[in-house]
Amino acid sequence: MLQVLINGALLGAVYALIALGLTMVFSIMRVVNFAHGQMYMLGGFVVYYLYGQYGLPFYLALPAAGIVLGLIGVAFNRFFFQPVLATSTREENSMLMAVGTALLLENLALTLFGEKQRGVPEVVEGIFIWGDVAEGGVVLTYSNMLVMGVAVLAIVALLGFVQYTRPGRALRAVAQDKEAACLQGVDVKTTTTLGFAIGAALAGIAGGLLVTIYGVNAGVGSNISTKAFIMVMIGGAGVTKGAILGGLLLGFAEAIGYDIFPGSVTYLIIFVAMIIFLLFKPNGMFGKPWG
Amino acid sequence: MSETPHLELKNVSLRYGEVRALEDVSIRVGRGQVVALIGANGAGKSSVLRAVTGLRKVAAGEVRIDGNQTNSLQHQQPAHALVAQGVAMVPEGRHIFPYMSIKDNLLMGAYSRKDKAGIASDLERVCERFPLLKQRFQQQGSSLSGGEQQMVAIGRALMAKPRLLLLDEPSLGIAPQIIRIIARSLIEINTKEGITIVLVEQNSRMALALSSYAYVLETGHVALEGPSSELMTNEHVKRLYLGA
Ligand SMILES: Nc1ncnc2c1ncn2[C@@H]1O[C@H](COP(=O)(O)OP(=O)(O)O)[C@@H](O)[C@H]1O
Ligand SMILES: [Mg+2]
Repeated sequence: MLQVLINGALLGAVYALIALGLTMVFSIMRVVNFAHGQMYMLGGFVVYYLYGQYGLPFYLALPAAGIVLGLIGVAFNRFFFQPVLATSTREENSMLMAVGTALLLENLALTLFGEKQRGVPEVVEGIFIWGDVAEGGVVLTYSNMLVMGVAVLAIVALLGFVQYTRPGRALRAVAQDKEAACLQGVDVKTTTTLGFAIGAALAGIAGGLLVTIYGVNAGVGSNISTKAFIMVMIGGAGVTKGAILGGLLLGFAEAIGYDIFPGSVTYLIIFVAMIIFLLFKPNGMFGKPWG
Repeated sequence: MSETPHLELKNVSLRYGEVRALEDVSIRVGRGQVVALIGANGAGKSSVLRAVTGLRKVAAGEVRIDGNQTNSLQHQQPAHALVAQGVAMVPEGRHIFPYMSIKDNLLMGAYSRKDKAGIASDLERVCERFPLLKQRFQQQGSSLSGGEQQMVAIGRALMAKPRLLLLDEPSLGIAPQIIRIIARSLIEINTKEGITIVLVEQNSRMALALSSYAYVLETGHVALEGPSSELMTNEHVKRLYLGA
């Protein structure tokens, strides 16, 4: 059982990272970024190519995934979302745009990278064994420990950034009230771009982390997006601590579920639980629209 | 008024699509003055402030602050740049940050400033001005009453160390005893700190009492202007705006 919980924590940490990225974009722009999962997938491919194929050290390949996706985020925001948000008076427009960008990225990835599942060599070799595995001991590869450590570190860094830096304050202000933020001297446009870039970069880093465990293929995006939506709905859209809680909950649910049930039953149960939960708490655990 | 006015609108027109919110509006505010803008709902009062802050582009005319063009067809300065020129605004509906503490709300007002020591001492001063806020320093914005939120909004504007303070209906929906506190603080802000004030109000009695000069807006144009004491005895104003 301990093993399952450790797996859950590992998954939960990376999932929280994914959920934080989605919730960041939502809180700043009120846009559900349907392409979040595809951005995760691209992050996986960046690490696959740089680290797996070209032999760049992992500690360089992973930040590169963040940077590449951050830049893609900036471009998407500038050329797709800002024009639509500026001219449209209806919310569906930006939503449809988001779906469009997801399809674009997925098909681009299919064309460029093909359908094959790709994996990368272990980042650090070795395995940590605690107790007798046959009797409830724990097995953890150093690679997985690294993934979990980096995910936790990234979350802490993000929270610190948002709470204690000047751009972080600007992000919070814009998320809560754009006009008021502008009147305090916050450059709303630049801050929005920054928020989208960070959200995309988080997806990229998460993808770059999990490619070391699960590998990646051009089609994983929508699956990851679905998970991200679940996590964000659990905690409440736009709520930072909600995203972290949602990530951890889903991580544990998945790890425990896969341990007990066969194959696809786990997600069936998760979806049903989700729907029942939303019937009672449509705004998520933290019950407020944003913050 | 031969010297450069602190704030000047020259023949400003402003539109929302087809809606003509302002038509050929000219307003002058001298340094250190308190000027009131009164008028019914929808007369265009908030639009005047939007033209001043640059939250909305003018369709014609120009806005000058300290003689510098800030909003005209030729030159449009982004709204967020205005804070650095010493202009702060208390928007209609207060717009405080709902999920920030009172303290963080106030500090957001100093977002454009770099002088740490000055920010700390100004925070202290705002708390002296509104002692109620000090007691609730860590409380979230959304948990405050309307009056308390208005004090936060004014305090936040003062944290920017403005030379020109714009207020959009600060008395709207607020208990009378808090309105008195706010009115008194506006007088102090003006007389002790020399801050120029533009006060937009539907509460005409309060606005005329606090100001030295006033403009009456009707359907997007200036219907009447003059020293506030004269307007207070003007028949038209008495009948339409003072309920006499
Ligand atoms: N965002 C907007 N879109 C369309 N019309 C608007 C908008 N804001 C204000 N108006 C219209 O412009 C006119 C002036 O509005 P406003 O300046 O807010 O008046 P006041 O502050 O005096 O109540 C009104 O007719 C109002 O309906
Ligand atoms: Mg108004």
